[in-house]
Amino acid sequence: MRIVVAEDLFLLRDGMVRLVEAYGHQVVAAVDNGPAALEVLLAHRPDVAIVDVRLPPAFSDEGLQAALTARRAVPGLPVLILSQHVEQLYARELLADGHGGIGYQLKDRVLDAGQFMDAVQRVADGGTALDPTVVAKLLGRPMRADPLAALTERERSVLALMAEGLSNAAIAGRLFLSEGSVSKYTTAIFAKLGLADDQDTNRRVRAVLAYLGAEQGGR
Amino acid sequence: MSGTGRTGGTGGASGGGLLRWGAAVGAGLWRSAVLVGLTCLFALVAVPVGWAGSSLVYSWSAGMTAAWPLRALAVFGETLLVVVWVAVAVWTVHPFTSRALAGAARRCAGRWLGLESAVAYREPRPVTRMATGFWWDGQEYHRSEREARRRARVHARFHDPQLHWDGVWMLAASVTVLPVAALPLLALVLGAVLIAGQPLFGAALSAAGLVAAPFAWRVLGPVGRPLLGPVTSTRLGWRVAELEEIRADLTQTQAAELERIERGLHDGAQARLVALGMSMGAAEHLVDSNPEAAKRLLAEARANSAGALAELRALVRGINPPVLVERGLVDAVRALALDAVVEVDVVSRVPARPERPVEAALYFSVAELLTNAVKHAHAERVGVELSYAARTLTATVSDDGTGGAAATPGSGLDGVRRRMAAFGGRLEIDSPVGGPTRITVAVPCELS
Repeated sequence: MRIVVAEDLFLLRDGMVRLVEAYGHQVVAAVDNGPAALEVLLAHRPDVAIVDVRLPPAFSDEGLQAALTARRAVPGLPVLILSQHVEQLYARELLADGHGGIGYQLKDRVLDAGQFMDAVQRVADGGTALDPTVVAKLLGRPMRADPLAALTERERSVLALMAEGLSNAAIAGRLFLSEGSVSKYTTAIFAKLGLADDQDTNRRVRAVLAYLGAEQGGR
Repeated sequence: MSGTGRTGGTGGASGGGLLRWGAAVGAGLWRSAVLVGLTCLFALVAVPVGWAGSSLVYSWSAGMTAAWPLRALAVFGETLLVVVWVAVAVWTVHPFTSRALAGAARRCAGRWLGLESAVAYREPRPVTRMATGFWWDGQEYHRSEREARRRARVHARFHDPQLHWDGVWMLAASVTVLPVAALPLLALVLGAVLIAGQPLFGAALSAAGLVAAPFAWRVLGPVGRPLLGPVTSTRLGWRVAELEEIRADLTQTQAAELERIERGLHDGAQARLVALGMSMGAAEHLVDSNPEAAKRLLAEARANSAGALAELRALVRGINPPVLVERGLVDAVRALALDAVVEVDVVSRVPARPERPVEAALYFSVAELLTNAVKHAHAERVGVELSYAARTLTATVSDDGTGGAAATPGSGLDGVRRRMAAFGGRLEIDSPVGGPTRITVAVPCELS
């Protein structure tokens, strides 16, 4: 895969480049600030970009803004956002366009190289890879939308793992179920949320969006 | 600030209206008379002294035959002399009367207009006995304690800035309040006298006096408001005391905060890093002899490093929340609302980012209020409203909980009050028992 890395700390950027290259991918650009990140995202149109939320020059949320702007220009451009902290607010903003190809992870996740590269791959394939911390926060929220209240406990846990971006097989592994019953649950979820048949990935993203309440306008 | 002596307004359409109007006129006349009594002293002193003085001094130059510039000079000198005499007379009366008369006017303003003003007069200094046997009153030495105490009392009484400020009130009142308040009374008396000779004019004059009565005394408001309050030095003194309290608070809060951070680092991340180092050292030692155990240790080390990161993240959130840094107050409050366990609606009318310290103070205050709403009031719905108007940033947190919130010392709300006080802001609590609760924090600030 062709990958862009935007991270201001040299050690982390360097480590990330080496990690990605160790897994046999190609880093087409590694930049250390917000404007440059936006530029290379639009110029290279990478298969996936790994972007830090907080970047120079202002050390606010330049990385996130660059990703959002690039995705407005190139819908569905796969971006994996890394941050020292995860916020539901940012997750909603990232998912609001409904295109998928979005990851949002704590920087700590880099420690587990295998899982991290797994997340990168999922995002590149147009899926989602939300940090379990953010998903846990979402689970802690009071149920407000009626269609979600109709879900059973099991369906909710399947949906939560779907939000993390796991495939049916992976969900089956986590919940000790057969893949067949997981696919039964997902079908039930799609039906209860009123999501019509179309491409599976897209429908999964939309299920997650329904879960976030992001379809209510996000911000 | 509306007084008790409301005017009847529409007049005598009904018997009740007429009665009310009559009461207002009666009260107005009484209040005018009181005000005249309280403000006429300087005039009573100045007018006779001025009149007697001028009739005396102008007689000196009456028979003068000289060129007109010389005569004009003489008249000017005489006038100056009269002015000095009047001033001396007023200055002599002032120290003995101003305090009592201004105090009475202050009480009237409080009762009639709700114009409360607290003032402080200087206290006599304590006297001390010196080794020489003399008594020191803070100013000079005296032979006896009694004499020293008397002098201290006199000094405190006559060298009091508040007393002189009261004198300024008396002076101003005798040229503003006095004539205006005397107007209805004069009209009434003059009308009554004239009614025998010129019935029409006399009746009109009396009627004018009666109509003016409910309004004339209100001149006390605009004149009293700036002049009856505490003198600037007293106000500044109070402000200094208040600021000293805030500073002491701030210093303590800061120290406590540093201690919390230090403890967080020491017991958390630092300890984790030590453990990390030890596991890795042990793994290094075991890697050849027992690779399995070394692997286990390395996994442990990784878990420890993840734990250290999590602890540092929590600590950073308490010092300066990352969303606040990245996005500013409004989005930080939105993020807070999303993380709350109940439904929180955020409405913002803040066009730009406020100054950073104010922003942080307001953020932590809102966080505290949200926690209170959920934890103590058991609210199910919470609303947060942020707005900026008249150079004041306001956050209102309202909930449908059990109410009864109060800023008792040591409570979270007390902490919010202090946090706000440090920035010259305020905390308003409207929380009847049984709810609903509405708490407002407001800070004056500029937007960037």
